[in-house]
Amino acid sequence: MKLFEYQAKETFKRFGIPVPASVVITSIDELKGATDKTGFPLVLKSQVLMGGRGKAGLIPFVKNLKEAEEKCAELFASNYNVNTILVEEAVDIKNEIYLSVTVDPVSASHMIIACADGGVEIETLAVESPEKIIREFVDPDIGLMPFQVKDIAFRLGLGGDIMKKFSSVLAKLYEAFRKNDAELIEINPLFITGDDDVIAGDGKLSIDDNSTFRQSTYEKTRDYYDSDAEYESALEGIPYLQFDGDISLMCAGAGLTTTVYDLINYEGGTVANYLEFGGPNYKKAVKAMELCLKNDSKVILMVTFGTIARADVMAEGIVDAINRLKPDRPIVTCIRGTNEEEASKILIAAGLEPIYDTEEAVRKAVSIAVGGKA
Amino acid sequence: MSIFIDENTKVLIQGMTGKEGRFWTEHMIGCGTNVVAGVTPGKEGQQVEGTDVYHSVRRAVVNVEAEASMLFVPPRFTKDAVFEALDSGIKKIVTVADGIPLHDAIQIRKAALSEGALVIGGNTSGVISPGKAMMGFFPYWIERVYKPGRIGVMTRSGSLTNEVTAMVVQAGFGVSSLIGIGGDPVPGTRFAEMLPYYEADSETDAVVIIGELGGSMEEECAQMKRDGLYTKPLVAFLGGRTAPEGKRMGHAGAIVSGGKGSVKDKIEAIESVGGKVAERPRFVGDLLKEVLKK
Repeated sequence: MKLFEYQAKETFKRFGIPVPASVVITSIDELKGATDKTGFPLVLKSQVLMGGRGKAGLIPFVKNLKEAEEKCAELFASNYNVNTILVEEAVDIKNEIYLSVTVDPVSASHMIIACADGGVEIETLAVESPEKIIREFVDPDIGLMPFQVKDIAFRLGLGGDIMKKFSSVLAKLYEAFRKNDAELIEINPLFITGDDDVIAGDGKLSIDDNSTFRQSTYEKTRDYYDSDAEYESALEGIPYLQFDGDISLMCAGAGLTTTVYDLINYEGGTVANYLEFGGPNYKKAVKAMELCLKNDSKVILMVTFGTIARADVMAEGIVDAINRLKPDRPIVTCIRGTNEEEASKILIAAGLEPIYDTEEAVRKAVSIAVGGKA
Repeated sequence: MSIFIDENTKVLIQGMTGKEGRFWTEHMIGCGTNVVAGVTPGKEGQQVEGTDVYHSVRRAVVNVEAEASMLFVPPRFTKDAVFEALDSGIKKIVTVADGIPLHDAIQIRKAALSEGALVIGGNTSGVISPGKAMMGFFPYWIERVYKPGRIGVMTRSGSLTNEVTAMVVQAGFGVSSLIGIGGDPVPGTRFAEMLPYYEADSETDAVVIIGELGGSMEEECAQMKRDGLYTKPLVAFLGGRTAPEGKRMGHAGAIVSGGKGSVKDKIEAIESVGGKVAERPRFVGDLLKEVLKK
């Protein structure tokens, strides 16, 4: 679960990492009160999860209240689903550093990534100047050692008081990474101010979805998702992605669904939505079909090859969904795996024509979608 | 031979008395697996399919010899169960749990590396040597998928494995040993680490890897081949060629960001060392025929 910047900064504060003075607002009425606390100039930071907020004009710098009110109104009215704005004091910046903690799956360690040229996305840095990126591996059983922290600071060219302040930030960031079961915790940029203070200019915190049972701080709300359908499916625990093509996928198994997505593209078709109801969701056919039917798709394509998810149970679920929802568009099925003979009987009895080959099923769905256009 | 497991491997089952544990214990035995004992705290004295259940792994290994442990344990207790097995000197562990916390997975893999053990999974169907034995849940009775033969298979996926393996069988081949590495971002064991076992296996002629976008496991296989540590033919099918960047499509381990981990890079890496990559599952069989000149 990716958190918003203001939530990441709340966490930073809890762990003692300095952040600029700021106030979170959800309406323009709160703006005046917020600016009284931060003073001018300030930055209005739209709380959305997409990258490249700066380029999209979503974090304007403003010098006075009039300007702030104009920009604030624009942001709340924009097409980027801005419901929250972080009103933050503008900081006198001398230098910007990149700093993050993540995992390294190969060596089974935690990994600190740092770079003296902050403020740029790390992916860009990795391509443009890989030699400038500092990587330090941390043994998860031992934790981050002070000598490692000092070494990173030296390699970043820091010294004196700044080095001490940086070391404190890094130690706290690592602690926050561990205690929050983070996939990634990132400060980019980490400001070195004119007064030689070290302050988190931005914040990213992504909490491992498998650890939410022991990390219950933030509840998932609509704000985290691009569309209503993606939010609704997330609440059901069904992986779902919204596209704008003709074919709704209602498949089982992450790898197989991704492969069907590829095959549709090869055959010249387009995908309306990616939906995977395998694993623990294999009895949720009704909900899955309901999500598919909300799309403007021309056909629903179901491809499964289940192991634990029995084919006959899936077939029963599909027939049940058809009976309840009376879909207004054709359905192509390719349901295989444990008890597939029984599954075929169930589907045929319900008037469907089961197919047993994935590519054949994909071609049929594409031809229906294309035919529908003509 | 076979790799990881055959009909002689002495297998312990942790979490044997649960619903899933019981169901798949029966099928593991049905497939030919040599199940020697079960473990469920508080259930010592019970039996499942005629096999004795013990309170703990320590208590089990006093009474029976065990080489491998199969875990039917929920994700949040998996770390403890893996460490319990390692504590008793068990060096082959399979966990099918879907949802192991990331920070637990890092420590599990770290411990496996330090102990010289192989932990397979999580988020996998397990390991099977068709016609001999399995640890996990495979519908081994579906002959058009789990037919014994001489092709090694490694996979990050479940349903897609059935899809691709069915094509291997349709082309006239069968499977020697199939290792489900699993779909998590930090699997206990990586593709490349299993290649030397296939290299040494006299019953494997070639290996098929079923990969997908994200991570670097496919590239690591190419490196093994370049280093000469794996010399048999390598054929791959990779899902997600047309997946949009930055979206989490597929397994949690499958996100592509910053242009790294794309299927395009993986194809280049594999082909640069003479490996073959199938564009569609169906082509895996054709490529195997080509590389094995059958």
